[in-house]
Amino acid sequence: MRMARRRNASEISYGLVMGGLAVLALLILVGPVLVVLATSFTDSRSIRFPPEGFSIRWYALLLDAGRSRQIHRAAGNTLQVALVSAGLATLLGTAAALGLSRLAGRAGRAADAFLMSPLVLPGLAFGLAALMYFTLLGFRPSLELIIAGHLVVVAPFVLRTVGASLSQLDPALLDASLSLGASPLHGFRRITLPLIAPGIAAGAFLAFMASVDNVPVSLFLSSARTDMLPIRMWGMMESTLDVRVAAVSGTLVLAAFLLMLVMERFTGLTRRMRG
Amino acid sequence: MLFRPIPPAPGPAASLRGHTLDVLGLGVRYGAFTALDAVDLSVQAGEVLALLGPSGCGKTTLLRTVAGFVRQDAGQVLIDGAAIDDLPPNRRRVGIVFQNYALFPHMSVAENVAYGLRARGEPRARIGPRVAELLEMVQLGPLRDRRPGQLSGGQQQRVALARALAIEPSILLLDEPFAALDRSLRLDMQIEIKRLQRQLGLTAILVTHDQDEAMSVADRIAVMRRGRIEQLGTPVEIYDAPQSLFVAGFIGTTNRLPCIVEGAADGMVALRLGDGTALTLPGESPPGPALLTVRPEQLVLHESPGPGRFPVALGLALPLGGQAIREARLADGTALRLTEPRLGAIRALGERAHCGLAPGARPALFPRPDPEED
Repeated sequence: MRMARRRNASEISYGLVMGGLAVLALLILVGPVLVVLATSFTDSRSIRFPPEGFSIRWYALLLDAGRSRQIHRAAGNTLQVALVSAGLATLLGTAAALGLSRLAGRAGRAADAFLMSPLVLPGLAFGLAALMYFTLLGFRPSLELIIAGHLVVVAPFVLRTVGASLSQLDPALLDASLSLGASPLHGFRRITLPLIAPGIAAGAFLAFMASVDNVPVSLFLSSARTDMLPIRMWGMMESTLDVRVAAVSGTLVLAAFLLMLVMERFTGLTRRMRG
Repeated sequence: MLFRPIPPAPGPAASLRGHTLDVLGLGVRYGAFTALDAVDLSVQAGEVLALLGPSGCGKTTLLRTVAGFVRQDAGQVLIDGAAIDDLPPNRRRVGIVFQNYALFPHMSVAENVAYGLRARGEPRARIGPRVAELLEMVQLGPLRDRRPGQLSGGQQQRVALARALAIEPSILLLDEPFAALDRSLRLDMQIEIKRLQRQLGLTAILVTHDQDEAMSVADRIAVMRRGRIEQLGTPVEIYDAPQSLFVAGFIGTTNRLPCIVEGAADGMVALRLGDGTALTLPGESPPGPALLTVRPEQLVLHESPGPGRFPVALGLALPLGGQAIREARLADGTALRLTEPRLGAIRALGERAHCGLAPGARPALFPRPDPEED
């Protein structure tokens, strides 16, 4: 039998303080999400907490193709923009990270800082700049322009996660691949790509979520025809306190949660594959 | 395939014929730093040659140049007499066991070993039996489906070795392969690699900074320093007849006794140690200040004075298995280490004794680097 380890007073108080802080952080971070979720099931006609009664009427209304057409179109636009911009960001970000990993010294750092700058640049400033630039070039507002704008803002996520994966990659592995007679291309496909795949997947996920969530760039680049979901939700809140906004939020939270589960499973799987 | 596939591997019988490696006037510079300075080296077929030296001596650069990872600024590398300088690393058929093994972490043991065979497009039907045979050879058959992360250091090294041998390399390069292993495992793996190398008739280059490793595995040792080969010879030659103070100091334990060479005649040198003891040794040396480098086992302790013996103050004696290492100090303060064969207890000697050269010992004599010093 092992003696139970005795805890002293300072260990207990440390645990209490840290545990308390963790609970507090959880309440502040997750609390609002729970509030929105609860509100979305209200029976009342306006957004109010605590909800009155329980119903799924707002979800039913949200799914009604006729009466929620504008929301559906905005959601479709948002999904399309997010898929295309995240897809392009994954390709370009991965390629850029691969290039940067071979570019040593000052030039590499400068290129890295340049490509990462959209992350620190205020989104509103970039949105306005993009609008003025595109107008100057004579483009009419379109989904393609929004995709281009989102691409600039979400590509850094891929660049960062893939860059981190690449910096973990032992260069001796590629030397080993070459010494075994494999061409550089073969080594890239069989060694580099599988080992940075979790970084690519994480980057694609983050880029997708950032695009879905993006307000500042969409605010400037979208029009009535190219309405985006966050902009539409804001508009609905401003005018009518429409409870469907809570239902949309609930749907987004659920979708994000499911995506997270899929990601965890995927990267968890790869982690096991890495041994 | 972007590259022409490597010609099919010769059968086991053909691989018994070792390959030669010649390095001619090889020079590599990194900016102002000269990593390799006109190095000439010939490795015979079926030979293990150790590149031994401190870090920064150029041994790793030489290995990477032979492998094709570093492009030389001058000179040539030839395998079986043919220059390989213009071949990319993946066309050189040079097998490498890396220092950290560089096993592919996302592949099983069997997939690691099969990698080179798959890369050159061997048919599946040939790969399976060949991998099984290689895993059998390094005694890893039962672990074929494990990932490298699930293996011990020694097992990982066996995988690395099997993977390198799978492509039937003409030259096997071993880059500090034992550095990450426990001391006890190290000797096992050294024996194992030596056994396989003999069995397959491989030509191998071992890069190491560990002199024991070089002595036990290599047929010849090239001691490197500052991008040059300081001395090339068999382990016995390097140990018994070091050609420079650096080699004498780098290989084995060496006592350095300052002395004055008083004269040389008929292949014998007369010299006088710091405390006035006169010695006569076989060899040649110009008169003047010199350093006598004596191995610990070349010194013997006596209880009584005699010709060629000098008094020493005795220090600690450490039993090391069949031998004892004894510390001693000369009258002028020079510290000495000597080994005594030990049968039973360590010989009880007083605080003082007399030290002389063992019969037949031929310590090396070098001109003293700084003649101003007495």
